[in-house]
Amino acid sequence: MAATASTREESLTSLPPVTTPWWAHLCKWGVIALGIVLTFYVATKLADAGHTFAVIGVAFVAMCGLLVYGTRRAVPAKYLFFGVVLLVGLQVWPIVYTAATSLTNYGQGHLASKEDATRQDIAYSVQQVAGSPTYTLTVAVKDGQSISSGDLYFLLTDNKGQTYVGDKTGLKPLAKDSVTLQAGKIVKADGFTTLNLLQANKRKDLGQFAVPTKDGGGIKASGFAAAYEGKPTLDWDKKAGTITDTTTKQVYVAKDAQWVPKNGKGQPLPVGWKENVGFDNFRTIFTDSTIRGGFLKIFIWNVCFAALSVLTTFVFGMLLALLLNDSRIRGRGLYRSLLILPYAVPVFVSALVWGSMFNQQFGLINNLTHLDIDWLGNAWGARAAILITNLWLGFPYMFIVCTGALQSLPGDVLEAAKIDGASAWRTLRSVTGPLLLVAVGPLLIASFAFNFNNFGLIQLLTQGGPFNSGNAQIGSSDLLITYAYRLALGGTTPDYGLAGAVAIIIFALVALMSFPGFLRSKQLEEVN
Amino acid sequence: MIKRTLAVALASATALTLAGCGGSSSDGSKSSAAGTDAGTSAAATGGAKSTAAAAPTEVSTKNPTRDKSADLVIWADATSAPYVRQLATQFGKANGVKVAVQIANDVRGQYETAFKAGQAPDVIVGANDWTGELVANGAIAPVQLPADVASGFNAQAIAATKYNNQTYAVPYGVENLALVRNTALAPTAPKTMDELVSMGQKLKKAGKVTNILSDQVGKTGNAYNGYPFLSACGGGIFGTKANGDYDPSKVMVNSAGSIKGATEMAELGKVGALSTNIDSTNADTLFATKKTAFEITGPWSIPAFKKAGIKYSIDPLPSVAGCGPMKPFLGVQMFFVSSKAKNATIAQTFVTSFLTTKSAQETLFKVGQRPPALTAAYDDVTKSDPDVAKWAAAAKGGKLMPNIPAMNSVWGPLGQAMADVVSGKSQPKARFDKAQQEIVKNIAKG
Repeated sequence: MAATASTREESLTSLPPVTTPWWAHLCKWGVIALGIVLTFYVATKLADAGHTFAVIGVAFVAMCGLLVYGTRRAVPAKYLFFGVVLLVGLQVWPIVYTAATSLTNYGQGHLASKEDATRQDIAYSVQQVAGSPTYTLTVAVKDGQSISSGDLYFLLTDNKGQTYVGDKTGLKPLAKDSVTLQAGKIVKADGFTTLNLLQANKRKDLGQFAVPTKDGGGIKASGFAAAYEGKPTLDWDKKAGTITDTTTKQVYVAKDAQWVPKNGKGQPLPVGWKENVGFDNFRTIFTDSTIRGGFLKIFIWNVCFAALSVLTTFVFGMLLALLLNDSRIRGRGLYRSLLILPYAVPVFVSALVWGSMFNQQFGLINNLTHLDIDWLGNAWGARAAILITNLWLGFPYMFIVCTGALQSLPGDVLEAAKIDGASAWRTLRSVTGPLLLVAVGPLLIASFAFNFNNFGLIQLLTQGGPFNSGNAQIGSSDLLITYAYRLALGGTTPDYGLAGAVAIIIFALVALMSFPGFLRSKQLEEVN
Repeated sequence: MIKRTLAVALASATALTLAGCGGSSSDGSKSSAAGTDAGTSAAATGGAKSTAAAAPTEVSTKNPTRDKSADLVIWADATSAPYVRQLATQFGKANGVKVAVQIANDVRGQYETAFKAGQAPDVIVGANDWTGELVANGAIAPVQLPADVASGFNAQAIAATKYNNQTYAVPYGVENLALVRNTALAPTAPKTMDELVSMGQKLKKAGKVTNILSDQVGKTGNAYNGYPFLSACGGGIFGTKANGDYDPSKVMVNSAGSIKGATEMAELGKVGALSTNIDSTNADTLFATKKTAFEITGPWSIPAFKKAGIKYSIDPLPSVAGCGPMKPFLGVQMFFVSSKAKNATIAQTFVTSFLTTKSAQETLFKVGQRPPALTAAYDDVTKSDPDVAKWAAAAKGGKLMPNIPAMNSVWGPLGQAMADVVSGKSQPKARFDKAQQEIVKNIAKG
């Protein structure tokens, strides 16, 4: 072994060196330059959005790319690099992100950090000071100051026509003869440069700016042409970790990632924050009686649905493929194209069309058959409707796959079977069948995994329903994925943390079930 | 060599993973099922409803991307976008700013996704029942309407913009259910449900129609369309606090009034006036193809009826025997300003100074012909469009659609309870008791 390897190497080195033509170099460096430009563009976009780590990551990947493709070294990496980057970006990263999310309470009302959330709560508590006037506003800077960075001044007219100037120290009257008014709004004032809407909009400090008034209130801009005197009713005592409502004297303390009333009476403040909750989401899944009660039932139907879907589509598709593989049939190409049609129609459309066809009173199916089956309002009816629809949607795929596999079967074994006098059934069972399974086995497993999580079909056809009396969470035709969706995102407060936890459990289940399948498909290969 | 290559690859992989922590978010799960969620879509705006019913291919999960070159970015659904664009152009010309109006198929879901990613638009067009959820996420900014401006609006429309004593939006239209009647088939308006049923049964016997009434129920129920039956008998969903806000701790789904309403629904189910076979996909078609003389629906259905050439009349919902008249939910269409608006000053100016004008409100009337929220504009459009006053008459006594997040846990259970009662699967009392328990439990879970 070693000897042959070394001789081969010798023969390789003894060959004259291969000269790469100049255009190949040009192409290579062109592509590399294009790649660098692209990553640079992405990096600037990310830098704009302020994602420092993402910029570093992109730069790192770009440098690795340059190293791998720009040099003559690392030949295996030239083949692996792209795959690895895509694998990490599109497969590993989402899983890691989902896992990380599942350990938090991230969800509706818990999106921001505690600091941001509290600030938002306080901003929401700002009320117009009782009896205070509404002002007509002109935003200005002192003459000679920069429009984009000079200190802000509010030129105000109250509803009695009095004019004022306000800055960060307070409000002062402004002599009327020094200003020009237009419909109550100051359009010009001596010593000031007024800002137009676009200029005022560019001043990001305008939102924070307030002309202080007594009792901690402030005159704030409402848009560009109006101002009001507002005052937050909440007071945040950072040291004590409490918030006090100055009007109702209610004290709020931080609990369960939101501010709740200390005395337990009343509603919490609306905005909560995101925090780590450890394995709480997993604990909820395993201990909540509603979730646990529905889980087993849904799981069994889920497995049955996926298995039956694969079985029915495969058998139907295979039979059609066998039929149309017979060279005695004329116009096979036409039939084959027609049979692929259901596959070409988007699931969105066909599932909705089938949904209306299953309508008890107006649907085509009951009308044609003169039956009165409540397809979608009855647990077994809904399950049957789903399987029938999925058969329609899925058989063309199996048909294509089987047709391909049948045409690549070696003719000699079939001939041998014929010579041995095997019947058609016997040939199918002992020769065609096993050989077909070798080819399509892994595809059946993939199809099983796909149907196991066939969210779109269920959501479009039955929304998981019909639901059992008294529990609108657990539907008779729910799959784990639609159930998880409703549980985590359809409740009072959509909870991405819980959704992440359920997704990870489903991931584990599908992986566990597919594994033996793949092992078996290896055994099938040994038949050959 | 290979080992080193692997090390580089792995290191780059780790770097990428770390990088992601600072950057993108990957939860598109909410928008991926946009508009298909039974509960919220049932209660969603008329615009969303009509587009969903009209063409399923329009249900796109693609998120609009924020137009970065504009000085003001507005997201609206496909129905309102053309008119909002008209207004935006006017505003832009008058103030020398560039405004972009972009279409989002599911404004609420897509806005929340974009907000989390820091790519939110400055202004969105939505409905009052979104408020609680958006506030909980800290996603919208308060809006200051001076008292003299606010007093020019319909009082209920202004009430609809408030949440926890704070104003969050500028309203433009009020929408509610009413009884739409085919005047060729039914020349007079039924005053009571019993009258409606007997008129419908006569038409059915004569072979003129196939259904007594078209009212969306569906297999999983529709609490929005079912609510008027509860309100007719003094029932409802939530009780109110002292200040008039809905109180999530007072669920009244199994109150005596609600159960009385549910019993009426069961009766109507028995005679075939209500049916779980009628849902959002076929309710309007039944009326437009003259297969029924009555439909309980809102202003969003009217364009389809006009197109079909149906002569119709809009009447207040009939009353229920032994109870009072059915009172619908009032939905208020409004403009919200993002709390992280990149152009907050322009957004606030557009919303508070421009949209509160009569001409702007009249332009917005063209979005689904909803009665304008601004009284002056309402008075004006009533003169040219007789339907407007009829919708407003049907709104009489109606209550605002709850804007508290707890409402999210009502749609599913209550809708299913209604469907079960209509189909005769369950007894009203027992079924609504169960629904009450489930709703209370879900709200407690948060």
